[in-house]
Amino acid sequence: MLTCSVTVSYGSSSRALNGSISGLHQVNHSSRHTGSNVSRKGLSMAGDSRSTIQTPRQTVRVLNENGTDVTPQPISHPEPGAKHNRVYLDEFSGPSDILSMLYQPTTAASLTVPFSRSVFCSSKISRSSLSTIESVNEERVDTFYKQDNYPASYVQVEREEVKEQVTEDMLNEVVNIYLTETETITHLDMPGISVSVDADDAEAIKERNNRYAELCKNRMGNDKYMDRSMQAFIGASKSKQVQCDSIVMVDTACEATTWDMYDSFYGAEQDKTELTAEPEKSGYSESIVNSSRGPEKTTSLLSTTSIGNTTLEETGMCSDDAADPRLILQSEKFQKVLLVMERCILANIFQPKLAAYRQLPIVEDCDSVVTPETMEHREEDVERSLSPTLESLWVFSCELTKGRTISCMAWNKKNPDLLAVGYGEFDFRDQTPGLVCCWSLKNPTWPERVYHCNTGVTSLDFSAKHPYRLAVGMTDGTIAIYYVYSQDKTCAVSSSKCSKKHYSSTWQVKWAEQDMGLSGDDKEEALMSISADGRISKWFLHDDLDLKDKKKKGEILRSLNAGFCFDFHPVDSSIYLAGSIDGTIYKCSSSNSQQFLETYSQHFGPVTRIKWCPFNPNVFLSCSLDWTIKLWIQDQLTPLLCLTSTQKQVHDIMWSPKWATVFGAINEGQMKIWNLDYSTLDPVIVHMAAPGVKMTSLLFALQTDCVLVGDNSGQVTVYQIKNFTVGEGNQVDTLESIISSAVARL
Amino acid sequence: MTATLHFRSGKKRQFRFSWQQRDALNRRRNNPTIPKMASEVEETLKRIEGQRGVVGTVVCNADGIPIRSSLDGVATAQYARLLRKLTVMAKSAVRDIDPQNDLTFLRLRSQKCEIMVGLENEFLVIVIQNLHQ
Repeated sequence: MLTCSVTVSYGSSSRALNGSISGLHQVNHSSRHTGSNVSRKGLSMAGDSRSTIQTPRQTVRVLNENGTDVTPQPISHPEPGAKHNRVYLDEFSGPSDILSMLYQPTTAASLTVPFSRSVFCSSKISRSSLSTIESVNEERVDTFYKQDNYPASYVQVEREEVKEQVTEDMLNEVVNIYLTETETITHLDMPGISVSVDADDAEAIKERNNRYAELCKNRMGNDKYMDRSMQAFIGASKSKQVQCDSIVMVDTACEATTWDMYDSFYGAEQDKTELTAEPEKSGYSESIVNSSRGPEKTTSLLSTTSIGNTTLEETGMCSDDAADPRLILQSEKFQKVLLVMERCILANIFQPKLAAYRQLPIVEDCDSVVTPETMEHREEDVERSLSPTLESLWVFSCELTKGRTISCMAWNKKNPDLLAVGYGEFDFRDQTPGLVCCWSLKNPTWPERVYHCNTGVTSLDFSAKHPYRLAVGMTDGTIAIYYVYSQDKTCAVSSSKCSKKHYSSTWQVKWAEQDMGLSGDDKEEALMSISADGRISKWFLHDDLDLKDKKKKGEILRSLNAGFCFDFHPVDSSIYLAGSIDGTIYKCSSSNSQQFLETYSQHFGPVTRIKWCPFNPNVFLSCSLDWTIKLWIQDQLTPLLCLTSTQKQVHDIMWSPKWATVFGAINEGQMKIWNLDYSTLDPVIVHMAAPGVKMTSLLFALQTDCVLVGDNSGQVTVYQIKNFTVGEGNQVDTLESIISSAVARL
Repeated sequence: MTATLHFRSGKKRQFRFSWQQRDALNRRRNNPTIPKMASEVEETLKRIEGQRGVVGTVVCNADGIPIRSSLDGVATAQYARLLRKLTVMAKSAVRDIDPQNDLTFLRLRSQKCEIMVGLENEFLVIVIQNLHQ
């Protein structure tokens, strides 16, 4: 209980007091107690004394069984001056009130002792044990009447007998409560009986001790002392119960993990940096998350006990309240996680195919159920697989590309897993908008980047120096450059505003290194394009594509021949070959823009593709719509070899990056792989397209023996070349020998 | 008397009494809206859910409460609860070894399926994929 004296001044209502008294009356009534009669009497007398002021006195008389009046008389008669004191009697409605009165420091000595006794009792009593209250009341009533004069103490509880209404203002008043300490109450004082040897009176005490010891010794058998018994009163013991609030025990455990300590040390630093970096994101910011992690992580995870199950909730991830679900779903991190997740799923689905592509051994899934049917299939496969053939691995296609014709494909120069595919119609009358998709090997179901173009796309090339630049040539002559690193869907640079742009279809674009300065030492990469208006242009990248006309081919070419394709010499990039629509191939130099170096005119139809051999710098291949593929040497104006297998237009050829004697060609419905070493009359592999589908584009994979074929249904199929035996090495010598023999024959 | 209410979705409804109109408005306002996503993210998620073998996806917030799920309620709650515990322990293990490292992805391959969990500080993406058809 609070041991302090409280000075409170407030207006009172006597109704409460009366009510409390009556309440106590009722309580007393309920607990039958031997002393209760007396106490009740005392109370009622008190009530009477109180009521002398307000209500008429009610005389209470106690009669025993004989009918005699045994009404106890008060020990001391109160004087009218003791009015104040009587008021105090009203206050025993609550123990706190009792205490407030009992602690009057000016109480007379006789009062203090019994009061102190009763104080002890009441201080240990909770409000529920009212029997002791009664005993207190009893005692106090007794002792109270002993007093004649009860001096008013300076600490008084002022209870106004005048009823004062509690007004609004009084309630709003600031009430000052002063708390002061009381004197120290000594409950028990047991002075020790040991005295230090060094004390001043140690000698005297020792002397006394010795004397006493002697006395005790002499006591036995001495006449001076006689034994006598006495009976002592054994006081009646009384058991007292004390009740206290139950002590709540809580088990807490903490595990300090390495990261917990790290976060506590460095988490504060991170907060500062993140707060300065992202001041806008307040409700969702990681800074708040970090700061709240500290105190929560002290209850770290316990893995083994069941308590740990609940504490697990608070650890690890930040459990600060509500990152808004909308914010989560719109955040960039979510997108990235989804990207990775999609790739994981697809890796699961396409794992055997990708393993075959990467030339890794394909491990049979040990969990898969092996049925007799699959066993049969495998046996058949083993039998069939002796001749060189193409095995389809997977297809790059999605809804966006359905029905579109693939016009060109290109690998990224830096990341060999990235493929850019251009979709555009060959037919001039078909003006559907074109599409460029950048596919990743890791996701064959959806392209990483999709760019919609105004007109059909005819040609694509990735830059070698800046691998994020993708140049796109379109059927209306515009050339656009896209930066693929960003998610931006618009093209970075376009030539549409340039005055000297091509006014007819751009058939091919290529990034090539060109000498810039006069010294010829510094090479810069420039974009070259050839278009149907007969010009080969060199573009520079400023804010917008700017054009420096590289070569005007003169009236002859401009009026008659549109350029269709070109290729730069692998070693000397200033020399290039250009094929025109009338079947002529021109060898030109970028330094000399007036004249052609050579003219090769052996084709009867438009030359669709020219490719230098990557292994032999003197050799190039050309194919045209006159059903032929011709192999040339640089110096000779007649082709060394003329290859025809079917009477179909050849759209695309490409040398194999692995073997010097191998190249692939696309007719309309067939894909052929030639090996000059094997035969110059027939292709080694002929792959038929699906019925109704025309193949349009061909690309060899750079590091593996796979071939990509694009067709006019919007699909890029990846084929693996199987059982294709070529001799050792890259066959350069073989090619040399073939060429020399061919030359000798001419 | 009739009152016509034009909803944002474009449909019109006729009410006989004004209290009906009021109720309809309140219903629309108080309905917890499914959190909207950026359209690309929505597309990606749909694509994932449509991939071959994918049983379902669950997106939870940091406390393990599912925000978006393509499974039924019971399965969602189960996956979210169990995988949250596992990811917390896995994250603790990774960070105990090197506090500057953090767990980003967790793949659990079992006999019948594979559970993939993508982790970030603020959320959890769970995808369950069946292997072999």
